[in-house]
Amino acid sequence: MVMIGRHNTDETTMAYINLYAVLGTLENLVQVDEEAKALIQNKKISVGFAVNGGPAATLFFDHGSCTLKSGVDHCDIKLPFSSVKKFNGMIDGTVTPIPSRGFTKIKFLLKEFTKLTDILTRYLRASEEDLKDPEFFEKSTVLMFYTIVSAISQIGNHDKVSRTSASYMQDGIIRVAIAGGPVASVCVKNHHLTTVKKAPKAPDAKMEFASIQIARDLFDGKVNSLACVGTGDIRMGGMISMIDNMNRILDRVGLYLA
Amino acid sequence: MRKLNTYTKSREEFARAVKVIPSGVYGHLGPAEGCFIPVDAFPLFGERAKGSYFWDVDGNRFIDYMCAYGPNVLGYCDPDVDAAARAQMELGNCMTSPSTKMIDFAELLVDTVHSADWAFFAKNGNDVTTLAVMTARAYTHKKKIVFFKGYYHGVSPWTQKIDYAGILEEDVCNNIYVDWNDYEALERVFEENKDEIAAVISQPYMHGNFADNEMPSEGFWQKVRKLCTEKDAVLIIDDVRAGFRMDIAGSDHYFGFEADLICFCKALANGYNVSALCGKDFLKNTVSSLSYTGSYWMSAVPFAAGIACIEKMKKLDIANLLNEKGTKVKEGLIGAAKKFGFDLHVTGMPSLFYLRIADDPTLALHQEWVAECVKRGVFFTNHHNHFLNASLTDEDIAETVAVAEEAFEVVRKRHPMEEQYD
Repeated sequence: MVMIGRHNTDETTMAYINLYAVLGTLENLVQVDEEAKALIQNKKISVGFAVNGGPAATLFFDHGSCTLKSGVDHCDIKLPFSSVKKFNGMIDGTVTPIPSRGFTKIKFLLKEFTKLTDILTRYLRASEEDLKDPEFFEKSTVLMFYTIVSAISQIGNHDKVSRTSASYMQDGIIRVAIAGGPVASVCVKNHHLTTVKKAPKAPDAKMEFASIQIARDLFDGKVNSLACVGTGDIRMGGMISMIDNMNRILDRVGLYLA
Repeated sequence: MRKLNTYTKSREEFARAVKVIPSGVYGHLGPAEGCFIPVDAFPLFGERAKGSYFWDVDGNRFIDYMCAYGPNVLGYCDPDVDAAARAQMELGNCMTSPSTKMIDFAELLVDTVHSADWAFFAKNGNDVTTLAVMTARAYTHKKKIVFFKGYYHGVSPWTQKIDYAGILEEDVCNNIYVDWNDYEALERVFEENKDEIAAVISQPYMHGNFADNEMPSEGFWQKVRKLCTEKDAVLIIDDVRAGFRMDIAGSDHYFGFEADLICFCKALANGYNVSALCGKDFLKNTVSSLSYTGSYWMSAVPFAAGIACIEKMKKLDIANLLNEKGTKVKEGLIGAAKKFGFDLHVTGMPSLFYLRIADDPTLALHQEWVAECVKRGVFFTNHHNHFLNASLTDEDIAETVAVAEEAFEVVRKRHPMEEQYD
C-alpha cells in the first residue's frame, strides 16, 4: 500500500465541506438515529458558525429535527472563527471554539451538540465491529451518501481543480441515488452546484448505485466505479457529460474526506 | 418483431475480466467510456469480424457503424490488405533494420496527402499528435498551444484537463482553450499571448461527443491559416478520426487550406496498427532532431497493410463512396424517425455521421433508441460520431433502417406522443 497525499487540496474548500457536508449531515442523523433524535427532542436552539474567509451557516434544532441554513444572523449561539484553518481545527478536535453570542446556552454546545457530533463521527468513521450490525451498516452508508453528495457541490464550487469540472457542466439536475434508499439532487446553474437532499422531479441525468452494499463498497474504495458500470451495479442515463464531470469532482471527495 | 440479443457469455467474460484487468474493459471500447446505456443492451466482447459485421462471444451479429472506432474503413478482413500483410509477415515484421516498406509507405503518403512533404510513423493517434506538438515547440521555441473546446487529441497528459485523474496543473498550464468557430477569440488569444503560442491544434471540424457535430463556418480555416502564418505559429490538423473519410488528400485539402502538420491513424491501414505524422518541408529537420521512437514503430507488416489500404481507398474513391453510403443511411434513419414522430438530427460528414434524437434534450430518449437498435443487431453509439466502411451494402443499409424503424416503434410505444420527455 502507498499512502495517499493531498495534492492541490485547500483549507477553504475543507471548511465548506466540514460545514455544509459534514455538519450538514446532522440533518439526516436525527432522522435515522433515535439516540440523536432524543437529544434534541425537547430543544429549540440554533448554533451559527461564522468562518472568516469561509462559510457561514446555522444549524437549527427544533424538537427532534435539524436544518442547516446559510447565514448566522438568527442564531442563538454564535461561534466565530478567525480563519478556515481554525474552523477545520474544531472539526478535527484540535481547536476549542469560544462563542461570541449565547453564553447562557453554552451548555447545549458542551453537552447535546458534542454528543450529536460524536454519534455522527461513529457513523461516518465506522469501525469494522459496528459495521457488522446490518442496521448500523445501512444507516452509516446512508449518512455517508448524504455527506458525499453534499461535498460534491462544495468541492465543485470551491476547489480549484474541481471548479474546472463545474465549468464544463451545463445547467440541469443530476439525480444521485441508492436503489431503494436515499436520493439526492445535484443542481447546476451557471456552473454553481447545489445539493438538495431529495429527488428531483425532472432530472437531466441519473446515476444510481444498485444497492446499499455496492454504495458502501464504492465509498470505501473496495470496488471500482468503472467496473461497476460494466456489471450494472452503477446505472447511468441522460446527460452523461454532466455525470462525467460530476464524477471528476467525486474523485476528489475522497481526498478531502479521507 | 426481431429476436432480441442476449449476452450471457459476454457477462461471464466480463466477470472474469474485472478480476485481472482494471475496470474489465478500459477506455473507449468499455461499457463506461463507451456509454453502454443500459449496459445489458450491449455486447462486451467480440469474437470475429468480417466486412461490415462483427459477432460477439454469444454469437450475435451486428452491422457495425463504429468500425472499431474508425480503423475499419474498407471492411473487416479486407482480402487485399490482409494479403499484403501476410506477404510481409513471411518476409519479416519487427526487425533490427527497418524494411524498405517504410520508404514505400512514406512515398505513397507524400504523393497522396496534399500538404505532406514527409511522413513519420508511430502506432497510435496520440503518438503523432504528441509528436506534432513537440515539433511545433521545438521549431518555434514557444510553449503555448491553442485548442478548440470539445477537442479530443489523445490521452497524453497535455491532451487532458486539470481535473482528470493523474493530471497535474503543470501538464496543462500552457494550454489555451477557445470556442470552436470563434475566430475573434482566437485572434484575441494571440494578442494576449504575444510570441508565446507555438501551435493551434484542431480537428478539421468539431466532432466532439454528446453534441451535434459542427462544420467550420465559411472562410474560418482560411482566416486561421493566415493568422497562424502571420503569428509564426504552427497549424496542426488532427485528422486521426476524420482522415481519408473526408478526402483522400487530407481533410485540410477538403476545406481548401494547408496544414503545417497533419496527424493520421484510424483509417490508415484498415486495422493494422500504424499512425503517421505528415508535414511541411520546413519542419522536417526539426522532427529529425527530436528524441522520439518506439519498439514497434517501424514494424513492416502495418506498413505493407497501409500501402495496400491507401491504394485500395484511392481506387474506390473512398471519401465519395463513404459519403454516398452515409447519405443513404442518414436519409433512411431520418425517414424512419419521422414515421414515429421523432426528430432525428444527423450531423457531421455522412461518412462520419453523429446521431441525436432532438425531442429530448437530456439524451435519455436517444439512449433508449440506440439500445433498442443494438439489441436488434445494429451497433450505434449514443455519444460519439459513427464510421462508415466501404463494404457496407445497400442490403445492410436496408436492414439498418428496418431495425431503426422497429426500435423507434418500441420507444414510441413506451413514450406516447402526448408524453413530455423532460
